[in-house]
Amino acid sequence: MKYESQRVAWWFFATCMLLFTLQIVYGFIMAFAHAGYDGLHAVIPFNAARATHTNLLVMWLLCGFMGAAYYIIPEESGRELHSVPLAKLQLGALVATGVTAVIGFHFNWWEGRKFLEIPRPLDFLVVADVLAFLFNIGMTVWKGRRFTTTSMVLFFGLLAAALLYLPGMIPTDNQTHDSYWRWWVVHLWVEGVWELIMGAILSYLLIKLTGIDREVIEKWLYVIVGFTFLSGILGTGHHYYFIGTPRYWLIVGGLFSALEPVAFLGMAIYGIAMARKGGRNHPNRTALQWTVGCAVMSFVGAGFLGFAHTLPQVNLYTHGTLVTAMHGHMAFWGAYAMIVLAMVTYALPNLTGRRLYDAPSAALAFWTSNVGMIAMTLAFGVAGISQVYLERRVGMDFIVVQKEIEVHFIGLILAASLFTVGVVAFLWNFIRCGLPAGEVAAADVDPEAA
Amino acid sequence: MLSKKAARLFFLTGTALCSLAFVGLTVDTFSRIPAQTHADRLTPAAIRGKHLWDRNNCMGCHTLMGEGAYYAPELTRVYRRRGPEFIRAMLRDPEAMYPGQRRMVNYHFTPAQIDDLVAFLQWIDGMDLNGFPAAPTLNQVAAPGGGAMVATGDRPQVFNQLCIACHRLGGQGGAVGPALDGVGARLDAAYLQRWLQNPQAVKPGTAMPRLPLTEPQVRELVAFLTHLRPQVRP
Repeated sequence: MKYESQRVAWWFFATCMLLFTLQIVYGFIMAFAHAGYDGLHAVIPFNAARATHTNLLVMWLLCGFMGAAYYIIPEESGRELHSVPLAKLQLGALVATGVTAVIGFHFNWWEGRKFLEIPRPLDFLVVADVLAFLFNIGMTVWKGRRFTTTSMVLFFGLLAAALLYLPGMIPTDNQTHDSYWRWWVVHLWVEGVWELIMGAILSYLLIKLTGIDREVIEKWLYVIVGFTFLSGILGTGHHYYFIGTPRYWLIVGGLFSALEPVAFLGMAIYGIAMARKGGRNHPNRTALQWTVGCAVMSFVGAGFLGFAHTLPQVNLYTHGTLVTAMHGHMAFWGAYAMIVLAMVTYALPNLTGRRLYDAPSAALAFWTSNVGMIAMTLAFGVAGISQVYLERRVGMDFIVVQKEIEVHFIGLILAASLFTVGVVAFLWNFIRCGLPAGEVAAADVDPEAA
Repeated sequence: MLSKKAARLFFLTGTALCSLAFVGLTVDTFSRIPAQTHADRLTPAAIRGKHLWDRNNCMGCHTLMGEGAYYAPELTRVYRRRGPEFIRAMLRDPEAMYPGQRRMVNYHFTPAQIDDLVAFLQWIDGMDLNGFPAAPTLNQVAAPGGGAMVATGDRPQVFNQLCIACHRLGGQGGAVGPALDGVGARLDAAYLQRWLQNPQAVKPGTAMPRLPLTEPQVRELVAFLTHLRPQVRP
């Protein structure tokens, strides 16, 4: 860490931890409801729990991306952040908007469109907030001395994410138009520009942690994001199979989604290869573990499970079943939650000046949360595949099938408990490091600066 | 070996070409959606229904066109599967229709709002969704509403839409109430008629709801049910 203003990232990461914890609580509410224990139905009906669970995820990931950008951009641009007060104001406004939205969900105030449930008036606040954030990092890049590939990919990824929020606000009366635009936001975020952000953070972490030449890492970054867009943009078609859009999307979507794992596979190979080649032994081994883990888990969750679910002939039966939840959980965990947690693990000792690198609790956090998530994915998979066969292939009644698969949600709850143990260990490490403090130069263990 | 410049060129060219193709396909898709979704049948009532659907986050539990959560039934073909009367009764009081089962919030819709939601679901039902939802293929007895009703065509329509939601016959249907196989041997026509007209009067405290049935429908159901005899296995 070279600049005092990078410390503002800590507040974003702390917000992440808070929202992530709350997200898990709502996940448990839903798992219990699925297992037949819907005691909170009168206060938190399933749709409120669901909207809260997914929106908190989006919010904490965005907070994490912003924190990562506030940490990375000053260093990459070689100057202090344009404005620290603006960053703090912008975080406060984002949290206020998010809290209002989540409270609103519990009072039936929303715009019931999957993943975009935030009510319309608050959408404008989100846009204004993200613009303030982009202005802040944009000015930093502009006034800085250097335009590195990593910072450019990160900046344009964030800018594109902001722009792609807009199609979701187009007013529609036809459900097909509604869905069509909704996926421009959701799909082009998670299988498009978010991968740009992820790739940029990944390459930053690899540069810092392995000491491999920036030119080599950034060259492969271009190749990977190249494959991401080559497959991901037209891969949006896998959401257009069965929503009242032309049949050719089955071919276009099927073909390009089948290519989507290539980018993730590239990311996994890139992460592992760079980590093995890296000559420098950075003391923060846990951060490297999260970085490489992210590259591998995103390939399994987003790449492989996504591929298996989006083949048109499979999707005809799995579309709109718990199989989607199976893929969704591991994909978001592997690709986005883990990259944010990797960034937090890397930055935290530098931000707080406490070099608590390789505590046993840090290893516990990594392994328990990942094993827990794999077990959760299996539980969702068994429930989902049973649902597909009983309901879609045999033709049993929906509610009857749900009763049949209740037991798998007990399995899910057990797996999720294991996962939670890991997350609590991560939180413990976060708290242990304390508030941002210490001297900037003393906190610097940057191999590039050495 | 690949240079950084070549890698950047690959990224920029690939992204530009794919974006162009995507925008082109989007323009073409929008020109075809009206025909495929029968936009001409999208009445003001159906549009009001769509906005009610959104305002109450129905997608937070149900799926429609396969999109939503996986907690409550898929509603794409619910109009033909259950019929408008079942949907109306369900929306008036969800727990009365599925007693003791997974619960749905009672939104206290007005009768006009319920009509709007029914119009919306009717419009969705008419859409061409490229074969979704697919008919079940692993069972000899076709599911009610799943597609072709080969073995269930001799039943009254109201039986296939309403009764089957909670009762089973021939292994098909819900598990809320008892199975109806051989019910004709257990209950006579007069009892069944009184039962269908007002279950509470016959057995106070029963979970069976008073269904929105017309007199001809009750007669049709009684005639059908009294003919259900236990299967004699040779």
